[in-house]
Amino acid sequence: MLRVTFNTLFRNSMRDVQRTGSEFARAQEQVSSGKRIQKASDDPSSAATGLREREELRTTDRYREANDSVDSRLRVVDSVLTDVISSLQHAQTRGAAGRTTVLSAEQREAIALEIEGAKQSIFTAVNTSYRGIYLFGGADNTTAPYTKSGSTVSAYQGDATVVSVDTSRTSSAAVTVDGGSMLQGSAAQDVFQLLDGLASAVRAGNMTGIDAGLVEVEQAFNRVTAVQSRVGATLSALPAEKARLDELRRASDSRRSQAEEISLSEAISEMTRAKQAQEVAIAAAGTNQKTTLLDYLR
Amino acid sequence: MSLFGMLGTTARALDAQRFGLDVVGNNLANVNTAGYSKRVVDLGAVPPSDRYSAGNGVEVLSVRSMRDRLYDQRLFDELPLEQQQAAISDALGLAEVALGKPGGSIDAALADFFDAFAELSDSPASTTARQQVVSEAQALAGDFSSMASRLSDAARATDARVRSDVERINALTTQLATLNKSIGSSPASDALHLQDEQVQAVKELSGLLGTQVLQLSDGTVQVSTRSGKPLVIGSDAYPLGVTNAPGTGFAQVTSGGTDITAAIGDGHLAGLIEVRDTLIPGYTTRLDELAHAVATQVNTLHATGYDLTGTAGGAFFTPPATVAGAAAGLQVSAAIAGDPSRVAAAAVAAPGDNQIARQLANLRDGTFVSGATPGAAWSGLVYRVGADVSAAEGEQRSRGEIVNQIELLRDSVSGVSIDEEAAMMMRFQRAYEANARFFTVIDETLQTLLSLKR
Repeated sequence: MLRVTFNTLFRNSMRDVQRTGSEFARAQEQVSSGKRIQKASDDPSSAATGLREREELRTTDRYREANDSVDSRLRVVDSVLTDVISSLQHAQTRGAAGRTTVLSAEQREAIALEIEGAKQSIFTAVNTSYRGIYLFGGADNTTAPYTKSGSTVSAYQGDATVVSVDTSRTSSAAVTVDGGSMLQGSAAQDVFQLLDGLASAVRAGNMTGIDAGLVEVEQAFNRVTAVQSRVGATLSALPAEKARLDELRRASDSRRSQAEEISLSEAISEMTRAKQAQEVAIAAAGTNQKTTLLDYLR
Repeated sequence: MSLFGMLGTTARALDAQRFGLDVVGNNLANVNTAGYSKRVVDLGAVPPSDRYSAGNGVEVLSVRSMRDRLYDQRLFDELPLEQQQAAISDALGLAEVALGKPGGSIDAALADFFDAFAELSDSPASTTARQQVVSEAQALAGDFSSMASRLSDAARATDARVRSDVERINALTTQLATLNKSIGSSPASDALHLQDEQVQAVKELSGLLGTQVLQLSDGTVQVSTRSGKPLVIGSDAYPLGVTNAPGTGFAQVTSGGTDITAAIGDGHLAGLIEVRDTLIPGYTTRLDELAHAVATQVNTLHATGYDLTGTAGGAFFTPPATVAGAAAGLQVSAAIAGDPSRVAAAAVAAPGDNQIARQLANLRDGTFVSGATPGAAWSGLVYRVGADVSAAEGEQRSRGEIVNQIELLRDSVSGVSIDEEAAMMMRFQRAYEANARFFTVIDETLQTLLSLKR
């Protein structure tokens, strides 16, 4: 039989009071902070999981922001391309209207001026800049892709590099357009030159020239619509990409929450249990040695 | 035995019972004295001097301390292991705090840094985005540097504890040598309290430094380190010395001029040395590897790009000379810090190109830190520190339970029980009363005898 001494009782009581006190303090901290782990040693594996998921959340958030940025930028590009297409269609319509011998010189001049107006619209459109970047200058996009001297538009000043932005770990979206390829491509002259030529042919009543000009406008129209189709395809893919990123974010946040946070009802229940245990330990310590043999001796 | 002889015998019995009460009183007085072992008085019957005598009463043979050397030895063996883990978990607590909160430390600085490059890839020509890259890079470098500094501070604080432990060990060995001298020159009965002090001192010494304790027949002890270096022999103490290690300036423990730091395998001191010389440097190395890998990888990519003016990009961070010290010395290169347009975001000499910025942003997923991504390398370091602290705490709890059980067993032999002492007090009190009554009876008998003559 173990001989029980004053020290035995004191040591056991103090150990129990300290252990239950420490458990209660920890449970209380969990409830007040809402966090399951206060420091890595509380649960190293969960702490590392929490960090990994936080990193994943930051990466996903970054791609979601990139998606938003690409979306707003491509909407501007799309809108500009619509304007260019509209201007080309207008030039096409007016060129076709000028292909007749019954028009007076004044009427031809009016049509030629409208074609030149379309050229001006296209010039303004392709020199659109968004957040300081010219959208149709390729990578050389800090200066305007086209300049004008009098009524003469310069050759393409940008480059053929297409700037892309990553919208997820596995996909990226082109956010600038190579204006040179779009407005000239493999043709002998760019849109501005051909519209100048078309306007001149209309003024001169040169039917052959008008025919040739209309063919080239048609080719330019096809190039621009092809670019707009690509932009449209990218734009339409973005919501699905963003939805996938949202789903990834929810999954990561859920894993992070499981690793780092507490279930409040469980934590409160645990805190109540720890408090009761502490009260019992304190009460037990208080009754230790309350009664001794000395109480029964005269 | 004559009536007068009986009076003498009873007087001795009264003395013996009074002595018993004295021992009980001493036990009760020391009920809270650390290291005190319960005293018991040994009484012996004095044999009769001739065949016509019942006996010559009682005498006090000795006073003994209730002690079991086996429990003491088990305690001396277990305490170093428990104290070693206690030292590790305490000292590593500083390193763990240094790592900061999740989402607010190097992990966040790395994410901000790579995000800034992603932002730059969205607007490569933007002055704001470029300034943001430089600011986040400086914040990252600052965080690496502070983290290295905090780990270094934790190692220095642990070194101060090492020195303090050595001082305490020397004070205890000196005390033990003095006790040996006193115990050796005192009769055994007078040396009981000295032996209590001796056991208490050896217990504390064993907690600080694993020891070999040899109990000699004269009550003195010989104490040496586990590796056999003497600490106390007879009345001589052999103090441990401290020399400053070249480079770090950390305390190296010496015995007789020989460096024994590496040979200290258990005890509080061993735990501190392990934290200072192995664990914290290990964390610092991992931090340095991370900082070095990030700086080198960013520099390599950056050098292949072109800045806003079309000039080839140089080093983004000041290239770290070695892995060691890379975190503490990480800095954004002066050229970049002074002119954000020098950040090379483009792979071709065009201001709007963003290919290098994209690649730099995507480094967050690159497995270039010993086969891990920068984020994974950081969470690996956090896991390592957390796991080390958690393991030390777990081991300490387990060892602490063993120590506690041994202490309980030891208390069951050496401890003072108030109930038991109350019973003994009553026992001696009643015996004293009975002997006093007997004395009165003899006295009355003598009176009766003397009255016969009147």
